[in-house]
Amino acid sequence: MTDYIPALSAHEIARKVRRGEYTARQVTEAVLAHIARVDGCPGQLDGDPNAEPDRVHAFITLTAERALAQADAVDAKIAAGEDPGPLAGVPFTVKDIFTVKGTLSSAASRILENFIAPYTATPVARLEAAGGVILGKVNLDEFTFGSSNESSAYQPSPRNPWNPARVPGGSSGGSAAAVAAWEGALSLGTDTAGSIRQPAAFCGVVGLKPTYGRVSRYGLIAFGSSLDTTGSLARNVTDAALMLQAMAGADPHDGTAVTLPVPDYLAALPRGVEGLRIGLSPDYFRITYPDPQSGELYEEPLPDEIRAAVMHAAEVLAAQGAEIVEDVPMPHTRYGIPAYFVISRVEAASNLHRFDGVKYGYRTPQKVRDLHEMYRKSRGEGFGLQPKLRILMGMYVSAAQYSAQYYNRALKIRTLIRRDFEAVFDPQGAYRLDALLTPTTPTPAFPIGGVYGDSVLMQYADQLTVAANHAGIPGISLPGGLNAEGLPLGIQLLGPDFSESTLFRIGYAYEQATAEEAWRATRPLVVR
Amino acid sequence: MQEEISPEIFNHMVELAALELTPEEAAYLRGQLNKQLQAVHALQVIPLDEDTPIASHGVPYPPEISPAPRADEWHPDPNREDIIAQMPAVEDGYIVVPDIPHEELE
Amino acid sequence: MEYEIIIGLETHIQLNTTTKIFCSCKADSWGEAPNTNICPVCVGLPGVLPVLNRSAVEKAVLLAAAMQAEIRPLSYFDRKNYFYPDLPKGYQISQYDRSLAYGGHLEVPMPEGYVRRVRIHKLHIEEDAGKTKNENGRRLIDFNRCGVPLIEMVTAPDIRTADEAAQYLIRLRQLLRWLGISEADMEKGHLRCDANVSIRPLGADYLNPKTEIKNVNSIDAVRTAIEAEVKRQSREVESGGKVKPWTLSWDEDSGRLSKMRSKETEADYRYFREPDLLPIRLDEAWRQSILAELPELPLARRARFMGQYGLLEYDADLLTGERSLSDYFEQTVQAYQGDPKRVANWLLNDVMRMLNERGKTAGALNLTPQYLAEIIRLVDEGTVNTPTGKALLEKTESTEKSPREIVASEKLARVSDTAALRQMCEKILAENPEQVARYRSGKIGLIGWFMGQVMQATRGKADPKATRELLQELLDG
Repeated sequence: MTDYIPALSAHEIARKVRRGEYTARQVTEAVLAHIARVDGCPGQLDGDPNAEPDRVHAFITLTAERALAQADAVDAKIAAGEDPGPLAGVPFTVKDIFTVKGTLSSAASRILENFIAPYTATPVARLEAAGGVILGKVNLDEFTFGSSNESSAYQPSPRNPWNPARVPGGSSGGSAAAVAAWEGALSLGTDTAGSIRQPAAFCGVVGLKPTYGRVSRYGLIAFGSSLDTTGSLARNVTDAALMLQAMAGADPHDGTAVTLPVPDYLAALPRGVEGLRIGLSPDYFRITYPDPQSGELYEEPLPDEIRAAVMHAAEVLAAQGAEIVEDVPMPHTRYGIPAYFVISRVEAASNLHRFDGVKYGYRTPQKVRDLHEMYRKSRGEGFGLQPKLRILMGMYVSAAQYSAQYYNRALKIRTLIRRDFEAVFDPQGAYRLDALLTPTTPTPAFPIGGVYGDSVLMQYADQLTVAANHAGIPGISLPGGLNAEGLPLGIQLLGPDFSESTLFRIGYAYEQATAEEAWRATRPLVVR
Repeated sequence: MQEEISPEIFNHMVELAALELTPEEAAYLRGQLNKQLQAVHALQVIPLDEDTPIASHGVPYPPEISPAPRADEWHPDPNREDIIAQMPAVEDGYIVVPDIPHEELE
Repeated sequence: MEYEIIIGLETHIQLNTTTKIFCSCKADSWGEAPNTNICPVCVGLPGVLPVLNRSAVEKAVLLAAAMQAEIRPLSYFDRKNYFYPDLPKGYQISQYDRSLAYGGHLEVPMPEGYVRRVRIHKLHIEEDAGKTKNENGRRLIDFNRCGVPLIEMVTAPDIRTADEAAQYLIRLRQLLRWLGISEADMEKGHLRCDANVSIRPLGADYLNPKTEIKNVNSIDAVRTAIEAEVKRQSREVESGGKVKPWTLSWDEDSGRLSKMRSKETEADYRYFREPDLLPIRLDEAWRQSILAELPELPLARRARFMGQYGLLEYDADLLTGERSLSDYFEQTVQAYQGDPKRVANWLLNDVMRMLNERGKTAGALNLTPQYLAEIIRLVDEGTVNTPTGKALLEKTESTEKSPREIVASEKLARVSDTAALRQMCEKILAENPEQVARYRSGKIGLIGWFMGQVMQATRGKADPKATRELLQELLDG
């Protein structure tokens, strides 16, 4: 039996390459050929958003030559009898928010249209050192500011491989779409409010947001520095674990990357869920939405299909021996988005100060009278609407006269959100949970153009994921079935600090127990 | 809907943010800002103890997992030429930008 | 009307670490070509993160301890946001409301005899910006200096005269060098100063609006700029006007103040905690290991030198002007085991001149404290006379041999063997019968001529006292 190589998972590819069943070059060539079939034109500045509407458009930059050279280096190691690394020959993509030396590192923004990074991000360098092969840089919301990928300055933006009329989610939309469409087994993403987990849920793949500080942020072009995390998108839990294993750990270039030793994630996978306490919280089964007209907040239950997917997972896990704990209170969940509107914007406004046309990136070609005009024109022309919105919001809520009312208050609310988690994960507490099981998103993938433009409604797509970013804790989104329209539904596991191993274990048990369910055999539309 | 950010406040912020906006952009952005602030006002009603600490990071960073400050050792960077290559205007090693308006009066 | 002058100083101190505060580029790139001492971090490339230099914290803690400031066990970095082309990230990493240290003071002894105690409001760590210069209506930018570690130290408005301000800087510079944390060379911008100046009627207890003078970057400039500003403010008030809270710039070349911008329009820096850096956690073990390196401070040592060694204040001050010299003095005193004042005289008269001529610090001399003590002892015990002793200083410094070796190899020892000296004197008398006759006829002043002959014959090694006695005995006898 011959494999269709692009459909293979990362751990299968690594095993076969290490054994010599395939060369890394064979794998890379096969995946590049697959990309040529399904991806269509890459996103480009001033590109047509509606071009080739049946293709994925995951990429901004395909680095085929570089990939083949890397693959050859892996093959040379194997030929020389050296260890090619745990990701030997595994093709992966990188969200274009990470720097990779010698490649365009655009953040999907015009303001970095010509920025060729002079250095490589630590997580990228570690994946490469482990034998991984970078296929290219994939699309995202501009500077990661969005939940649909539509805000990219590079169009067409990615489409959902299950239904190209739907968004892939965001901001790691290119990453999730690429992994779902077999354009690389893994993708490196970032998660600031749900930017890995939400697109993973929309595209039916696994998305891990590790604990803050578990993986280096060096080379991640910052959005909200206290919330940003580097994580994995993969087609199964084993691959997500394999990828984290290669990236995690202290980094001399990141003073916030913890020195805690990295456990053996793969070894923990088959341990099962016997005796683990997994919680369900009513606060994750309702959602607060602002009315688009009046702005009034109103609460409503989640759609039945989402609730059903989570309850099904709870039953599956209970059957495997987990103890399901119901009615776990998480009262501050609903304040996650309002607090995020403040905290992330303050950090974003500051992080975007450096894009001023002075030392790299876009500088206005227009004639200017003085330096200030150069700043205004370069930033005005270089930034899209979403960065501008975040800059202005951040400046407003951190201005001296408003910062106590907004920023400091939001930071205190953040403490309360964290305390919700500490209380239920406390081994001496009333709930003593190992993990919370929740939906990842309030809805499945929405139609392209359905929400974009309403920045408030868009942000509420992250309502169930953002609390983990405030609290710093790890979260993983797993495929939890398909709805009646054939769109993926995501379920989420949240655990205490540095409990990635436990989340993988639960995810793996769930994956094994549902392996024979019918939806597991269904492929995304673009690869049927 | 109450407008917290008036056109005057908005224009002042645009100036501080060093942005030049088209009228359409300005109208959209000001509208969105006011909507977002309305969502943010949900925070105002939460009862808060005066002594609730602020959280700069979610993860608490106890000393045993916090990286130590780095040793004071010189490692020249090998990427200087690549960094210079990114600069929009360079002359004799200097980055060149337009002048800053003078405000000296006397 | 008589006025009281109120001055506060804001100083920026460049630490002499090997590397920058948040990256591994060199801290000191003085005189190097523009944009050669840079890396992704200090140029603020997208995606980079700061990593704190341990040594910068340690040097700042030493200064804080020397100022007797309160040092916080947990202090935080904050971002100060503003646009300027020499600031690549668009924000400066600084410390705001929870800085490394606060409080403390510096005692400033004035030449007039009183001591001005200047309190310190705030002491914090921050990164330096790059340099810009104007050329033909364009601005040229060099990032070499970006990220050099600075300490910003702000005094309370405790200074009352321009001279006190100058003395404060002199004492601060002395302290920084003493602690070994900054080269404190004002010409190279290692120590920069802004002065806040206001006046009020003598006896008033309120503060008037102040002006801030930027760029007063030499001791002389501090004195002259403040004096000029006090005159300007007095004229303003006396002509019925009001002092406005301007920011002024001091042009050292022309000796003129010019107005920069109005204080009311001061930017809102939107300070917030730097999320990319953990707080500085100064645990007790680290704190102790840093403070173990804290030396006795200059003013304390000066007082001790006066008490312990009986030195005059003036001499004690000179000997504690610089740490290496004061250490040298004490080591010499120990090696010498005699009157410390005698050591002080040798140091202040002769060794200091050598140091100045050679541009060396005392610690770098080949003439070690042991050698200096040996030379003084050689003179004391009469082995060499004083001129020979002084010549030995130079010889020891240039040959790196011990003074005793030099005395032996160059036969410099004084001739005090009476028999040999008597023989020499008899020979000279015998060779000069005419002079002997004139002496004996009453020209006793000729004793000096005979002394000279003996000294010439012995190349200065004859003991003058013994020679005189012998000559008198032979001539008068």
